[in-house]
Amino acid sequence: MSDDPLSGDVGSGDRASRDVASEDPSGAPTRGRLSSRLLARGQEPDPRFTLANERTFLAWIRTALAFLAGGVAVEAFAADVFADPYRTVVSVLTISVGLLISVGAAMRWLNVERSMRLGQPLPMPLIIPLLSFASGVAMAVVIALVVLD
Amino acid sequence: MSPAAPLHADPGLQPERTVLSWGRTMMLFAVVGAVFLRWLPHYGLWTVGLTLSCAVVAGSIYATQRRRYSRQSRGIAAEQVEADVPAVLATTVATVVLGILGVMAVLA
Repeated sequence: MSDDPLSGDVGSGDRASRDVASEDPSGAPTRGRLSSRLLARGQEPDPRFTLANERTFLAWIRTALAFLAGGVAVEAFAADVFADPYRTVVSVLTISVGLLISVGAAMRWLNVERSMRLGQPLPMPLIIPLLSFASGVAMAVVIALVVLD
Repeated sequence: MSPAAPLHADPGLQPERTVLSWGRTMMLFAVVGAVFLRWLPHYGLWTVGLTLSCAVVAGSIYATQRRRYSRQSRGIAAEQVEADVPAVLATTVATVVLGILGVMAVLA
């Protein structure tokens, strides 16, 4: 690699202002309004951890979207498998699980980000038992409906 | 023409992985929008609105990918990346709104 590939892109003035910002405990002036309000306390964590937290959030959101698509698909495709009221119940349950997971994903992202800023241990993942429970219930309902039908 | 200088020297490729993760999420929004189209015969024209909303979310992610990669790469190089609160909140709100509209359509 030729000397420093980064010096040309991160301008010296930009880097200087970042250093000043990171040394200022009262909060960097360059931060956005929302992050200043929601992530007020503590110091900027390792950027790798911030990005890893963002990817974990996105993985949960994709899980939520999969539940949402599943609920929509049950209502659209499974008319032959489930009679009408049961199909609606399964569909609404599945979409609701997706809703809970997406809200939980955002809350967990925020809590993890706050813990990292304060150097505290990361919080317990409450959405993992929720996901296990919801998947179990959904499968039990489907099995019961198929067997009883 | 020589290739552009790399924006960061992180061997873990954090910005690449994060931007790809956004890309997968964008794909899934598009898939959900396509699945919504299956409701068209049962629930009528307003399901097209759900599909269009998904398309808007996916398009917004697509339109911000370059900026996101650039911001995260420079942040990794400078050892400081600001948490992207607006993007996280917007994605959550979009998912929740789609879910609520879906439940309302099923129960209607």
